[in-house]
Amino acid sequence: MAQVVIKRLTKTFPPPTKGGDPVVAIGDISLEVEGNVFASIVGPSGCGKSTLLNILSGVETPTSGTVSVTESGRPAHLGYVFQDARLLPWRTVMDNMLYVRDDGEAGETRATRYLDMVGLSHTHDMFPGQLSGGMQQRVGIARAFSVEPDLLLMDEPFSHLDAITARSLRDHLQELWSATRKTVLFVTHDVVEAVQLSDRIIVLAPGGRIFDDITIDLPHPRRATDPKVATLQAEILGRFEEMHPAPAPA
Amino acid sequence: MTDTVAESIRQDLDQGQVLRTAAGARRRRYALVVLGWLVFIGLWWLLALWVGSEARLPSPGRVFQEVLAILQEDFWAQFWASIVRVVAGFFAAVLIGTPVGLLMGRSKYWSNFLQSPVVVAGSIPGLTYAVMAFVVFGISFWGPVLAVGLIAMPYVAINVAEGMRGVDRRLVDMSTAYGRNERQVFRHVVIPSVLPFVFAGVRLSFSLAWKVGTLTEVFGSSKGIGFQIRRNYQLFNMPGVIAWVLLFVLFMLLIERFILVRLERRLFRWRQWEREA
Ligand SMILES: Nc1ncnc2c1ncn2[C@@H]1O[C@H](COP(=O)(O)OP(=O)(O)OP(=O)(O)O)[C@@H](O)[C@H]1O
Ligand SMILES: [Mg+2]
Repeated sequence: MAQVVIKRLTKTFPPPTKGGDPVVAIGDISLEVEGNVFASIVGPSGCGKSTLLNILSGVETPTSGTVSVTESGRPAHLGYVFQDARLLPWRTVMDNMLYVRDDGEAGETRATRYLDMVGLSHTHDMFPGQLSGGMQQRVGIARAFSVEPDLLLMDEPFSHLDAITARSLRDHLQELWSATRKTVLFVTHDVVEAVQLSDRIIVLAPGGRIFDDITIDLPHPRRATDPKVATLQAEILGRFEEMHPAPAPA
Repeated sequence: MTDTVAESIRQDLDQGQVLRTAAGARRRRYALVVLGWLVFIGLWWLLALWVGSEARLPSPGRVFQEVLAILQEDFWAQFWASIVRVVAGFFAAVLIGTPVGLLMGRSKYWSNFLQSPVVVAGSIPGLTYAVMAFVVFGISFWGPVLAVGLIAMPYVAINVAEGMRGVDRRLVDMSTAYGRNERQVFRHVVIPSVLPFVFAGVRLSFSLAWKVGTLTEVFGSSKGIGFQIRRNYQLFNMPGVIAWVLLFVLFMLLIERFILVRLERRLFRWRQWEREA
């Protein structure tokens, strides 16, 4: 159970064209996430969601402000699921799992366990290129869980997949999460998905500011077909309607 | 060059025959190869008839006798002498070309600094290197090694630089996010992405290196295939010259086909499943 503290964070990228304006990816965000919480970050394209996760994972550095990701005082271990699977194409599935945390036999046991959990026990010796996109994404998810992270970052992990695969993976993720209860930061622009999975939804607005912070109080694991989930999804979608009204019926 | 032509012909054939069986396609492929050789030998034979002098253009039969004689005599010793030099030169090229390419691929600064010398070095005719090597070393083992190293090095460097630019940023970021250090990233991400490019550089420059190595042997060696070609030439033994040339070409093709291509396929087994992301 990690503790994420973000204070007055901003991130500006250099202008894409000469003489243009710098790109403000994140404009002043303060946020705390703590405990076994599944938190989603929702917002339109380009509002700095990926940038935020990249700063938390140390891939990017902040322009100003601070972030700290700790687990009872020490730096937290991270797992990261990307929009694309990001497997090393020259390593087998098992070797990909071991690449991110190789501690001998224990690592292999954990890798096997999480591959089993995503239904890929038969793929240990296959290369990523031999797997379908959905299977690769499942390896990416298993890899993130197998490092037994204190904090799990997920960046639109299902957005490249077809609706049916995505739905089944969401249910998989709910099972995995209910069993492990990690702290999760889950980026998506799909509000319906966020409601099914999360305890908390942080809504970002363009320009990288926090627009809203919603708490969802339903027991896990939640299935997409659960009527209670569906009701809440409709209600929260309604709130977004108020923000961006739909055209009135003619 | 011959290789890429052959490759594209093979691909055309393959595509034209998707519906037929693979075995049938392979049989037809071999038949075409054999036919090609027969036509070539036939033309040569006609030409030799027309020239009408075994001393100036010996017939295929005469050369074939010579080939058999050479094979029974000292072919393997000469062949071995040549190949050791080519391999040693190649080794030097990879040893120097790889770090140069890594520097070029790593930063704009080094790329600007090294780009032109490397490109210039790559476009100097092989004969120049052969002469230079002879001037530097005289008749020696090291002449051909130097010439081969110089001719192959730019290819390796340019390909490695290209490979460095092709390293997938996203995989590097993934490694950073999972706390992998720079050494691990280099070993598990950078090297595997660059290796196929190194190999392509080696394959591209292989036949070139062979030719330059042999050329250098012609005047800067007392051993090897190139030297044998010169010796037969000085003895006015045309069948001998042609027999050595033929053996040279044949073994170059065999090494390329059966060693380099196989090694590549084995090393990069994962590539056969790679798809466009
Ligand atoms: N490495 C970079 N260099 C320059 N600009 C960048 C870089 N990364 C992101 N940006 C810019 O920062 C802004 C936020 O990008 P980011 O990828 O964080 O958006 P996002 O919320 O994840 O969008 P999406 O939902 O489309 O993934 C965008 O305008 C983008 O162009
Ligand atoms: Mg993004």
